[in-house]
Amino acid sequence: MIVKVNNLVKRYNELLALDHFNLEVKKGEIFGLLGPNGSGKSTSINCILSLLKYDKGEIQVFGKPMSPDAYDIKKDIGVVMQEVAVFEELTVYENINYFCGLYIEDKDRRKALVEEAIEFVALKDFRKFYPKKLSGGLLRRLNIACGIAHKPKLIILDEPTVAVDPQSRNNILTGIKKLNEQGATVIYTTHYMEEAEQLCDRIAIIDKGKTVALGTKEELKGMIKIGEKITVEVFNLVPEALEELRKLPTVDKAEYRENILVVRSKKGKDSLVKILEFMNSHDIKFGKMYSELPTLNDVFLEITGKELRD
Amino acid sequence: MFGHIFFTRIKCLVRDKQLIFWSLIFPIILATLFKLTFANISNGEVFKPIDIAVVSNQFYENDHGFRETMKHVSEDGHGKLFNMVKADEVKADELLKNNKISGYIYLNPEVNLVVKSSGLNQSIIKTFLDNYKESKNNILSITKANPSAGIEGILKDLHVNREYTYEVAPSGGAPNTSLSYFYSLIALACLYGGFLGLKEITDIQADLSKRAARVNMAPVHKMKMFAYGILAALLIQFAEILILLGYLSFVLRVDFGNQLPYILLLSFVGGAAGISIGTMISACIRKGEGIKIGILITVSLISCSLAGMYYAGTKYIIEKKAPFLAYINPATLITDGLYTLYYYNTYERYFLNVAILTVLSIIFCLITYLIIRRQKYASL
Repeated sequence: MIVKVNNLVKRYNELLALDHFNLEVKKGEIFGLLGPNGSGKSTSINCILSLLKYDKGEIQVFGKPMSPDAYDIKKDIGVVMQEVAVFEELTVYENINYFCGLYIEDKDRRKALVEEAIEFVALKDFRKFYPKKLSGGLLRRLNIACGIAHKPKLIILDEPTVAVDPQSRNNILTGIKKLNEQGATVIYTTHYMEEAEQLCDRIAIIDKGKTVALGTKEELKGMIKIGEKITVEVFNLVPEALEELRKLPTVDKAEYRENILVVRSKKGKDSLVKILEFMNSHDIKFGKMYSELPTLNDVFLEITGKELRD
Repeated sequence: MFGHIFFTRIKCLVRDKQLIFWSLIFPIILATLFKLTFANISNGEVFKPIDIAVVSNQFYENDHGFRETMKHVSEDGHGKLFNMVKADEVKADELLKNNKISGYIYLNPEVNLVVKSSGLNQSIIKTFLDNYKESKNNILSITKANPSAGIEGILKDLHVNREYTYEVAPSGGAPNTSLSYFYSLIALACLYGGFLGLKEITDIQADLSKRAARVNMAPVHKMKMFAYGILAALLIQFAEILILLGYLSFVLRVDFGNQLPYILLLSFVGGAAGISIGTMISACIRKGEGIKIGILITVSLISCSLAGMYYAGTKYIIEKKAPFLAYINPATLITDGLYTLYYYNTYERYFLNVAILTVLSIIFCLITYLIIRRQKYASL
């Protein structure tokens, strides 16, 4: 196990930020921590990194207890903070070189690693730029380069794509995949379910400081009873017809609002055909209709009763 | 590792425009303003020849000795005492009435002085005339009692002023009341080194900045980060003080005497005290950077005002009423150290100030380190 967290409890005065939080991250995987804002993702990361005091629990990294003085552990960890954490007074090259130099003393090796990191985040043309001259996306890339230049075995990324344009986001996600392929274990926190689905081998869904579900994305989706979500544009659905629809054996839940009918069907049933038949038999006029497989948001919704972005 | 952190910290400090403004540019601007303001004070201390008139009557024209004496003390040059005009009595009265002269002299044949009011200039004229009369009587007495005495020898001796006390000026500096303001300014510049100390802690305290949180994740002991950063700050601060002293000495022509090595030592220790105060404020006060800067400026200004930056007398009032405060106020210690160098011929008090500043710096740094060492944060 690369990271093992047992029964972690962290309070901010009256607020229980982590409630007996558990986590196990295996070597070589991309592990996603998915949860809404304020769910405890960053708090758990800061506790793992020994940046934050916690009230109870145990944290092990690389099989050893983590502490502020655990320099032999720290040398193999790379951190990419949620907010850009660089020096405004240093250029792109100097920033990466400084942070890399805190891990790598050998000048020649460091130089090579810094060049590699600059190449990796595609900041070659901006190496002499100061951070304030960089766009948001470029800043994020610099932030990542500062965290990974020393080639850590464990990389922790805390929502690195917040406020980033789609193109930069894709570049970042591709980069993280590449780092993982090069052998790094990655812990990735996000509140974007699409990112977690696209990137992570295993995902822990957390809410109110607790792990509410854990597994691969397929395993997580398998945990819920919803099989399919069908959205239909309907113009003349009377309440009686809606009630009748809800009684269909394939339907788990049906909601009608502003001419949009959303039907969540039960797993393993041929819902779409049944709903089409119902519409025709009741002479209900409809426009667009489409079907979606369940997402992690549905998993979160079913488990917690609220949306990920609430 | 030392070189890597040390030189990067120097870059960070030198390139921080706000920091350089407060720790270097602001004291230079203030020094320039002081110089402009105090130019008149210094001018007021320079002796200006006194405007007088001599009534040009028959007695004056016939008194060769008095005429020569008046001519001698009215000639342009170092010893010029009077701006003398010759006038008739009516004209002299008119000049006096219109305040064009401080007084006028007329002979009848005794030497008489006419003034309108009493004051420094009038006292100087009277003292001069009394001295002249006394010397004249002495010469007359001697020549009367001993006609063979050489008159030239007596006159020569008259110009010899034998001093029975002598001035000791270890610094070689000329007295200047505005100096105490410049001393306080140097003290302020030293204390503004606190900005550098504040920045150093902000950059290694994880709950103060995100970059510091990242630095905290590196496998480098916090003591090392702290020590290397402080050394970089000390170097920059000392360089800034050198620039300020150079500006004061060579551009503004402020005379600090000839005790340069001692002034530099005091500035170095004063700078260290300033930096350590900044680190302590940054570590102790768990508020935003803006609040910390505000507190640092307030502390520095209070410290300097107690040392006499705004009113020179404050320093002496504090020394008299609250001597302990004078002993722990870094600005007072720096100001007093410079003052001591300038006016005294012993170094006891100077080294006492240096020693107290050193001890204070060590205490402030220890407090800072005890607060920041091995710290995990309640919130980030």
